[in-house]
Amino acid sequence: METLTGLILIFISAALINNFVLHYFVGICPFLGVSRRVDTAFGMGCAVTFVISISTMLNWMFTSFILRPGAPLPAWVWRTAGGNPQTQLDLSVLSYIIYIFVIASSVQFVEMYVRKFSPPLYKSFGVFLPLITTNCAILFASLEVLKHMQDPANLWSLPQALTLALGGGIGFTLAISLMAGIREELDLCDVPRPLRGAGIALIVAGIMAMAFMGFTGVEKGVETALTSLLR
Amino acid sequence: MDKEGPTALERFINGVLPENPIYRQLLGMCPTLAVTNAMKPAVTMAAATAFVLICSNIMVSLIRRLLKPHLRILVFTLTIATFVTIADRFLAAYVYDMSKQLGPYVPLIIVNCLIISRAEICASKQGLAVATADGIGMSLGFGLGLASIATVRELLGSGTWFGIHVLPAGWPNWGIMALPPGAFVTLGLLLAVVEWGTRRRAATGIWRTVRMLWSWRHSPASSSSS
Amino acid sequence: MSLALVALALAASVLAILAVAMGYVLGWANRKFHVAVDPHVELLQAALPGANCGGCGYIGCSEYAAALAEGNTTVGLCAPGGGSCAQKLADILGVEVQESCPYRAVVHCSAHTHQRLQRAGYEGERTCVSANLVAGVQGCTYGCLGLGDCARACQYAAARIVDGLSTIDYDRCVGCGACSRTCPRNIITLVPFKAERMMVVACSNQDTAADVRAVCEVGCIGCKACVRVAPELISMDGALPAINYDHYNPEEAEALESVLEKCPRKRYLFVGKPTPEDLAAVEHEELPEAVTADFKTTVDDTEWRG
Repeated sequence: METLTGLILIFISAALINNFVLHYFVGICPFLGVSRRVDTAFGMGCAVTFVISISTMLNWMFTSFILRPGAPLPAWVWRTAGGNPQTQLDLSVLSYIIYIFVIASSVQFVEMYVRKFSPPLYKSFGVFLPLITTNCAILFASLEVLKHMQDPANLWSLPQALTLALGGGIGFTLAISLMAGIREELDLCDVPRPLRGAGIALIVAGIMAMAFMGFTGVEKGVETALTSLLR
Repeated sequence: MDKEGPTALERFINGVLPENPIYRQLLGMCPTLAVTNAMKPAVTMAAATAFVLICSNIMVSLIRRLLKPHLRILVFTLTIATFVTIADRFLAAYVYDMSKQLGPYVPLIIVNCLIISRAEICASKQGLAVATADGIGMSLGFGLGLASIATVRELLGSGTWFGIHVLPAGWPNWGIMALPPGAFVTLGLLLAVVEWGTRRRAATGIWRTVRMLWSWRHSPASSSSS
Repeated sequence: MSLALVALALAASVLAILAVAMGYVLGWANRKFHVAVDPHVELLQAALPGANCGGCGYIGCSEYAAALAEGNTTVGLCAPGGGSCAQKLADILGVEVQESCPYRAVVHCSAHTHQRLQRAGYEGERTCVSANLVAGVQGCTYGCLGLGDCARACQYAAARIVDGLSTIDYDRCVGCGACSRTCPRNIITLVPFKAERMMVVACSNQDTAADVRAVCEVGCIGCKACVRVAPELISMDGALPAINYDHYNPEEAEALESVLEKCPRKRYLFVGKPTPEDLAAVEHEELPEAVTADFKTTVDDTEWRG
């Protein structure tokens, strides 16, 4: 039951309290670029959620077995090579390279798969998939997972990593859809010329960020409620 | 292939103001908003980005004839990832506190749209000198953009600049400036100021003169008349 | 063995294995998930003008190319491309081109500002769509407002406002229909141009006699004189005549001329490209020079060297 509470807390934290776009500033480029209409924005959000889940899962596997300090594979290689058991072989310097490689390859693979097996799905969000490779949000999720895999005594499991990824993706979808709705209304307003386009979008994002700041501290209340509920 | 396209000097000047990465191209927004709550992290991030941009431009320009079209984005990304790893380890070794403060935003330089776009637009098509000048120009422009936003946020948010108190002690620190909403609103308003400024006649006049000189250099008839 | 050496070897081998594995997986996926794309689509797309005007009824040139490749549509729908484009498309697909005539936009109003009754001054947003919602902008509630929505919608600079009236430049009109869709009063229609100059009804006012004369100096009063002269060509749609362009034959010059003469308000006009007589009439006039900024001459060849 503690794990379920933990998972729900991770999800709420990633989606609302520490929203990827409005708190951590990742994924701003598509947030400003693709948020003009609600249907395209929602499609982009779904694509991001999909890719972020898959790539975080793959990256968790690589981190868990190869990249974290004290990982099994380097330890085994060091032992076999007859190395000093006091020192540790640490391959974490390869993290960024492997993460981005895995992300780019998985996006490519997903695009090919979706194009072949689900043309309607491809029509709705396939065009965003190449853009997502350079989306900060995907890499950021993997980096957050890496952050929680540094202490060998307290490692994150696969469900936790996946929940973070899903929460982040859904939070991104929420933020971008809200922004698209607001921008559709802004099209009909008399915006001063210097502010048109990115200027007013950023100011609106600032106000949205202020609104989402209202979620700070919610995790304490949720934790208490969940523990008493699930007891 | 090197004779076509802008020269090194043009690329350099281009990167600083006319095609400033933050204010005119709107690329690299993620670190811009995240690290500009004070000048020190902003300058560190600008230096790290400059290192990565210049090195990756040089590297891509050196291997540009070997690139296959459908694999080139992957090659750019891996090159940039290598240089970012170097920069990240360097920062962690020599300025550990700052590295901790910058956190995940240094590795996020890998997916900074600015660097990939410069590799795609300039380094993969032009020679070493031009690519280097482009990298230096864009880095300067990026640094200028970061510094401008960080100045506003730090001054209003805590009355300091580079940690030195410049505003009188009675200044009520605008806490919001250090938080995400302050970042968004500051960038939005500064963007509006730059848009407004570049549309005024003085700026248009200066820009027209620059373009006139530019076109003089490239038009075939200019050599006979001037 | 030293740590550094083992680390280097392990790192290199991990990266190499990863690269090779991913290469194999992606290569396999590329073959297994291959989507057969009709090669015709690319050729068709290249043959189309690429203006994405929507005149063919599809959302963009790529949509039209896709529909053509599937055999769902005819080749003659591209108005900006015209006959040559239709022929190219037909050659690529290996079909015949059916003869069709080009459609061009026609404005069914010919009253300039001084010929209309103006009412209270309009201080609102200077678009026809907004002015159309407000009562009392001008006397005639059917005709052209002259605020330029059609001019702004036209991508080919064919529609212009001249003296408060929308005018089409037939050298530039490609028949995409953008102006026709934009006009809030629906007075612009697409007419098949069977000849260089076509006769059209240049009024949209559906009131009769005194009501029309009160609001416009040149509007159609609904006297039906034209219908009596050419009943098979013209029919009355309420109080407004309509030409049936299926029966319109440009060769029957006398029938058309008689309609022109019979109309007491002279509301039948020939519109289209200028005739040789029109061009001869203005030959002696000088065309105004278009002023463009030419930076080389602003300082260089003048006497003033400041």
